[in-house]
Amino acid sequence: MSIPARFHDGLTAEVQAVDLDFETVGAVGTLVIRGLDHGEIARWPAEILFALPGRKDELRLGAIGQPDGARVVVQGHEAVARVLATIPQLTERRHQQTGREIRLAVTATVALVAVIAAYLYGVPLLASRIVTVVPPAWEQRLGETVALQMEASLDGEAGFELCDDNPDSLANQAIARFGNEVLAGSGSPFELDIRVVKSDIPNAFALPGGQVFFFSSLLDRARTPDEFAGVLAHEIGHVAYRHGMEQLISTAGTGALIGFILGDMTGISVAAGLGATMIDARFSRDAERQADAFAAQVAQRMDFNPAGLADLINRVGVDDEFARALALLSTHPLTEDRKAALEALSRQRPTGLRPPFTTAEWSAIRDMCKIPHN
Amino acid sequence: MALVEERPVAVKFTGTRREMGGLLLRGYGLLLPTIGLYRFWLTTWKRRFYWAHTEIDGDALEYTGNAMQLLLGFLMAVAVFVPLYGLFFYFSTLSQEAAFIGYGGVAVLVWFLMGYATYRARDFRLSRTLWRGIRFDQAGSAWNYAFRRFFWSLLVIATAGLAYPFMSANLWSYRYRNSWYGDRQFGFNGGWKLLAKPYYLAWLACAVIGVTGLTIGWSMGALPDAGEPSLVGYIPIVVSALLIGAVHLLYRARELSRMLSSVRLGGAALSVTLRGRSLIGQYLLFGLALGGLLVVLAIGGLLVLGALAGDAFADGAFDMAVFMQHLQSSFLVLLAIIFGYLLVLAAFTMMAELFLGLAFWKLVASNASITEVDSLRSVRARGEDRALAGEGLADALNVGSY
Repeated sequence: MSIPARFHDGLTAEVQAVDLDFETVGAVGTLVIRGLDHGEIARWPAEILFALPGRKDELRLGAIGQPDGARVVVQGHEAVARVLATIPQLTERRHQQTGREIRLAVTATVALVAVIAAYLYGVPLLASRIVTVVPPAWEQRLGETVALQMEASLDGEAGFELCDDNPDSLANQAIARFGNEVLAGSGSPFELDIRVVKSDIPNAFALPGGQVFFFSSLLDRARTPDEFAGVLAHEIGHVAYRHGMEQLISTAGTGALIGFILGDMTGISVAAGLGATMIDARFSRDAERQADAFAAQVAQRMDFNPAGLADLINRVGVDDEFARALALLSTHPLTEDRKAALEALSRQRPTGLRPPFTTAEWSAIRDMCKIPHN
Repeated sequence: MALVEERPVAVKFTGTRREMGGLLLRGYGLLLPTIGLYRFWLTTWKRRFYWAHTEIDGDALEYTGNAMQLLLGFLMAVAVFVPLYGLFFYFSTLSQEAAFIGYGGVAVLVWFLMGYATYRARDFRLSRTLWRGIRFDQAGSAWNYAFRRFFWSLLVIATAGLAYPFMSANLWSYRYRNSWYGDRQFGFNGGWKLLAKPYYLAWLACAVIGVTGLTIGWSMGALPDAGEPSLVGYIPIVVSALLIGAVHLLYRARELSRMLSSVRLGGAALSVTLRGRSLIGQYLLFGLALGGLLVVLAIGGLLVLGALAGDAFADGAFDMAVFMQHLQSSFLVLLAIIFGYLLVLAAFTMMAELFLGLAFWKLVASNASITEVDSLRSVRARGEDRALAGEGLADALNVGSY
């Protein structure tokens, strides 16, 4: 019994109404396509037949070696079921095709996972290598740009106001001397520029190129010279390791990866931001630990307790519950852990070292943001 | 000469929203374990659905592309984008003025590349479309198209939109005059004159509505020189924006009808009549469906978060600090939020596909008819065009529709 179908020969845009028969000689089956006048149009052996994806209750058959567009189209639920029952190779071949697609998808996914893993571990490593070939002059210019942007976003158009604009004052001289001594021997190409500026935000940070900002609000909360010297040495550690630049490179790299996963290289999406933040946070924590270790090393040459750095950050942190709650995404390691690590590092400090600041210098530094300098 | 005037053959679309919805749900489910890579398969399945359900004179279209081609194309596009990305990074490190110029330059470059990408994507889709066993194709140069589109769009900006009908007619014409069905070339006999009247009327209407809305809003205090803007004042502005959207849709229906009806293929002619109100209806339905789904998702999300971080919602008020502590301590809450974000994203794309994409395709197909279809029976197949690997840039730039 034959099954009605439509036939395209793939050479001309014709459609022919045909009848399909299936002939079996021994183990070899052949699909015979006949016109309505019973004339034979084509014979397609079962081995070269394949089914193409089509809509429901429609079976589209092609054949290997035939013109690319040659098709037999069977329509109707029953007719399709009959063809599939007669030629089991079709279902078999479709399963094989599905299997190939699944293998391809799995392989691609595994490859992507590998890329992500390599990225998570590779980008920080790579960033620290790339940073060594970045020209210092370029990094310095970049730091100035970042400083401008930061001033604009934190303080509006006015910019930062220096606590003490006289570079030759006792406080500024002492800070500059301390900075140079800390940085000496680290082989850093940068000249330090430490600025104590007025701000209500208790913070201190280092920018690419050797600029260090210390906000007056953080200075006000420092109780001992140890705390101030510790934080400053920590920030100078960032300068010595060129962490700012490293982080910038790493962030750029992570952004590219997230864009690749989401497939939208131009779009900036919330998920991209969140993902990048979490990856970068991991990286920054390592940087913070490195800067802590740097401060502890400095404390082998000068008489201050680097654990004071953790005390000061802890004190500021208590006031800022919100910042603490955000610690999952924050760039700083938890202060308790840091303090323990710093104390371990500073256990065997040599005695008889010179303190970082004289008493007169420390009191001048403490007062530098309080006295009007006009 | 034909003695009997041939009855135009209507195009039929047999796909249903239900079937497409199932396809999308399965696709989104598989996007998670494949970290998004399944999107190439999903696109392929979607296209197979659209093509296979579009029936012309008894025979459905067939999409012959596959996911591997799209994946390869995307990887190639990444190769283009990595240097661009590096450039972006470099600009971000420069002074503000230089960065501004740099970003602007990259934006212009991307705008130019989008023209190239859309043309290549169209080529990819056409050359993977079969009807009655014969392949469509697109010739012409994607760079040529990109230049045309780019300079026309500059002119349109310079003339405050007045040059648009000329640009539109020019690009439509370039696309169709370079399209082929087998060995037969498409023709296009439309021009800017077909668009001028509806476009300038719409332009005028938009200008009047916009100015009126802004003036009323301003007089009601939406844009004060100082102090708090009044919320009531925003109402006329929002209303005028919605009206402009409606006018835009009315015009779009007119442009599509007139331009598509200018497409010829030898003796066969396409005729499409879209109603603007049908397009507006689609957007209203989309808004309703999306709104409803988002409400359901929001309620579900609150219930889940309430169960996971209940004390943040104690006393009927939301305590941000407590909630943030949960974020820190509980990986589960974070996971729930990320999952929720993905759900909202999926809801949006799914509703857009069902109520805008599918509805639009269906609207165009069911309002299209072709005269002298039988003249196409003499079309012969041409050589293969396998040069195109995927849609590359189009995928990366997110300009590929359908």
